[in-house]
Amino acid sequence: MKYFFYLITYLFFTACSAKPATELRVLQYEELKSIIEQNDDVLYIVNFWATWCSPCVEELPDFMEVNAEFDKNPKFKMILVSLDNIKELESEVKPFIAKHKIGTNVYLLDDNKRMNEWIRAFHTDWSGSIPATAIYKNGKKLYFVEDKLNKTELKQLINKYL
Amino acid sequence: MKKINLFLSLLVLALSTQFNVYAQSTEKTGYKPGDVAIDFKLKNIDGKTVSLSDYSQVKGFIVVFTCNSCPYAIAYEDRIVALDKKYTPKGFHVIAINPNDPAAQPKDSYEAMQVRAKEKAFTFPYLFDDGQKIYPQYGATKTPHVFVLNKEKGKNVVRYIGAIDNNYADANDVTEKFVENAVDALLAQKAVKQPITAAIGCSIKTKK
Repeated sequence: MKYFFYLITYLFFTACSAKPATELRVLQYEELKSIIEQNDDVLYIVNFWATWCSPCVEELPDFMEVNAEFDKNPKFKMILVSLDNIKELESEVKPFIAKHKIGTNVYLLDDNKRMNEWIRAFHTDWSGSIPATAIYKNGKKLYFVEDKLNKTELKQLINKYL
Repeated sequence: MKKINLFLSLLVLALSTQFNVYAQSTEKTGYKPGDVAIDFKLKNIDGKTVSLSDYSQVKGFIVVFTCNSCPYAIAYEDRIVALDKKYTPKGFHVIAINPNDPAAQPKDSYEAMQVRAKEKAFTFPYLFDDGQKIYPQYGATKTPHVFVLNKEKGKNVVRYIGAIDNNYADANDVTEKFVENAVDALLAQKAVKQPITAAIGCSIKTKK
């Protein structure tokens, strides 16, 4: 009976402390577009990155810190778009997400042959260099940068558009 | 006299501000198709320097900003060699330039370039943008980033900026050969249909 009580207590606390699992999905441009361009008053911070991209990896801790600060706000959602090769999903992307405690949904954009179309659809002047970050709300792109962002810059942008 | 002084200093101020704005905007945006590309004098892996003006009797250049460290650049190495083999006899020469600062990415040091060029049997110059003076003028942002230059009345005119083709991951599954289409059009003295393309690449590494 005593053990049963411990078990219940343990289950109760693990259930409470468990955060909703982050989603990792492989998708194509149209699906990604439908996720970030919604009429739902949510501010979408969309970061384009890859495990092999060192400046991307450098800025991610700042992004995760900012995400932790804002993610209780239902009007805020950060999304990571991985541009890794689909072949590296198991060997690189999944271990990276676990190791770096990525707390956002990660979408691997497996749409390599149409890069020339979707890169310019996201932003006309984007040459395709990463990291790059876009901010969307109600289907509108409010901001785009083809460079790193630090914590202060990211927070300023969120506070400006939220 | 004071008035003249004031006038002169205002003039200098106005000119310098204008110059600054201009310098910043070129640095940020680089070349557009139709612009005349600047020549350079950069050190090749054999220790000699290479300039566009060293080449006489050419129809143009395929300038590729590339490096040793970026997986996308590596994926394209063999295709860059193939471009050189195909187009040098036709008058378009491949010139590869490593724009990365080895202080930020040690794999892209001059010595590492020499090793990589030998391993991959590069048939074209592989130049080091020492001091990172050239890539900002071209407006390269990533590796690989291609600029096709066409000789027009003695000038090197930019006619294509972008990716080599539309499939970095699989050379056998390429459906659009952007650079080849551009060079073929120029050889046929036609306009380049797609003068700008975009593809994911590794940002050029600078030490901040």
